[in-house]
Amino acid sequence: MDANPPVRELAMSISNTALTIEDRKLLFTNLLRADEYDRTMYKRMMSGKLLGFYHPGEGAIAPGIGAATFLNQDDVLSPHHRAHGMAHALAKGVDLKPYLAEHTGKAGGCSEGRSSFHMSFPEHKIYMFSGFIGFNFAPAVGYGYAAKLSGKGQVVMMCSGDGSYGQGRAHEAMLMAQNMKLPIIFWCENNGLAIHAEASEMHPMPDISSLADGYGMPKRIVDGQDVFACAEAAREAIDHAREGKGPMFVECKTLRLKEHDIGTPDLIGSTPRSKEDILKQAEREPVKLAMQKVLADGLFTMDEIDDLRTAARAEVEAAWDWADAQPFPEDGEAELMTHVFAPNAEDAA
Amino acid sequence: MTRQLPFIEAIREALREEMIHDDKVFLVGQDIRGAIYPHTKGLVDEFGPDRVVDTPISESGMYGMASGAALQGYRPVVDFMFGGFTYVTFSEATVTTGQQYFLHGSKSNMPLVITAGVGAGMRLANDHSMAIHGTFAHHPGIKVAMPSTPYDAKGMFKAAIRDNSPVVIPWHMALMMDKGEVPDEDYVVPLGKADIKREGADVTVVANSQQLKFALQVAEKLDGEISVEVFDPRSFVPFDMDLLLTSLAKTSRLVIVDEDWESGGFAATLSARVMEQGFDLLDAPVLRVTFPNMPIPGGVLEPRVMPNPERIEAAIRAVME
Repeated sequence: MDANPPVRELAMSISNTALTIEDRKLLFTNLLRADEYDRTMYKRMMSGKLLGFYHPGEGAIAPGIGAATFLNQDDVLSPHHRAHGMAHALAKGVDLKPYLAEHTGKAGGCSEGRSSFHMSFPEHKIYMFSGFIGFNFAPAVGYGYAAKLSGKGQVVMMCSGDGSYGQGRAHEAMLMAQNMKLPIIFWCENNGLAIHAEASEMHPMPDISSLADGYGMPKRIVDGQDVFACAEAAREAIDHAREGKGPMFVECKTLRLKEHDIGTPDLIGSTPRSKEDILKQAEREPVKLAMQKVLADGLFTMDEIDDLRTAARAEVEAAWDWADAQPFPEDGEAELMTHVFAPNAEDAA
Repeated sequence: MTRQLPFIEAIREALREEMIHDDKVFLVGQDIRGAIYPHTKGLVDEFGPDRVVDTPISESGMYGMASGAALQGYRPVVDFMFGGFTYVTFSEATVTTGQQYFLHGSKSNMPLVITAGVGAGMRLANDHSMAIHGTFAHHPGIKVAMPSTPYDAKGMFKAAIRDNSPVVIPWHMALMMDKGEVPDEDYVVPLGKADIKREGADVTVVANSQQLKFALQVAEKLDGEISVEVFDPRSFVPFDMDLLLTSLAKTSRLVIVDEDWESGGFAATLSARVMEQGFDLLDAPVLRVTFPNMPIPGGVLEPRVMPNPERIEAAIRAVME
């Protein structure tokens, strides 16, 4: 696998997308926080203190931060399974405590302990995470259509990986979004691997974003290891969608430093990924790259970065303390059965 | 005031009135502007193409348009034209729809309606004829109903559109032009309420849609010989078990007619429930009249195998022995 994929087309529209110093500081801080959450999940899972799966995000958390940091609260965000959407969600301002509680089956979980690792924060417009890869393409059409009908300038950040573009639903969503000029950003975080399957083997073209050409949809390709480049591309696409110009496709070329999910062998096809390849990729780990930039640009000193890292650790630790202190749900069958259907007004009467 | 209206026109009235009543209601489907079936006829002229939306032949995208918009506070009605076409977007329509409210902490309603023409007898072969009520009823979190008369059609479609949960409400193509009394004022037929379409004392026959018509024909034919009570479930989920048990307390015999396949169909579920909850009421084993477990053949072969009045009569006579 190419550890340093060529970036053919960078986000260009500087005027609306240029990041201020404060923007870049926020992105860097969010990146550190997401990195801490991701690492702690890995540790928890390895020590048996996490329910279900965990799909580690190491190496691939920058696109989520870039995608979501500058969304408005009433924009719809649809993350995917890498790092379980935590990078995306925290960047949108979600307090992840209830998600950690959910991931450990607690009553204080964001889904009342019913959903294991499936994230849902409808109050932040993050909905119905499902285990089906590419599940979010179809409802994204509806989020986009609702946004268009209501005319409030909302956009839909529809995030997924390279693997999900094997789904026919991806085609249907792009087709309909472009036909109806829906405000949807097709945000593809291409890490080159779908479990063990290389994107280069499963897709005929080197760029997933070349799919956008068939719909006449504008596209950008960005270095997914560069959180600032991701954020600039997101801003351009968000502006484009918000202005009523329709969807845009952004492909973030990223990578994966761990196995698909914890405990699964890390293969390409049927042979183990080489340690050399992974080490080479690790040179482009996004926190490392971002740190070089913020130091070089004088945004933070090393001491300040240490403080940010300490604060991020404290945040994650406090979040886990809260989650661990939550009780397990007491619901039995009778109580759970009352939640199968949404109540109607006449039910109360 | 009531008028005589065709079944399909009663559905159209429900859609139209609910679109007037609530501007969050919109229709999405394929070729619904031109009204490939007349229940959407002229609605695009009245409500515009933003509320009567034709999509490409992209069932997942089309359905996703409804499910996503429903989570954003709209009340879409998604029209699949034929029930079998829901299978094209099966995972969305069944799994992710049914689990959405429950699995994500009872926080976000998904009020949408799935409708489509269904039913055997049109000689269209399997994929245009298959029943879908049993399949959807298998998946928790989805209400499933099917009207048998124009009155029920209008009232149940209104109830479905106003419901805060996803509702699947197919309509049977064989009933399309059947006329019946329909009030012109606003009313709903609540989901979960069955209806005794004919009272009787000797045997209860559960039947719906086209099969309800057949059951009523048989009941009429047997009048004076066997007194047949004809029970229309109207809703499969939720199912009105109380009314069925009340009926069985009177008749103590049960025939379940279902145009769906025998294997894993709603008739099987209902039969098991009656065994579990009403065994002491029964004087004879429950009998079922269902579609045999073969793909529905088209052409002249279909009438030879589908449930029909002769089979219903045979089952009634058998359960009376």
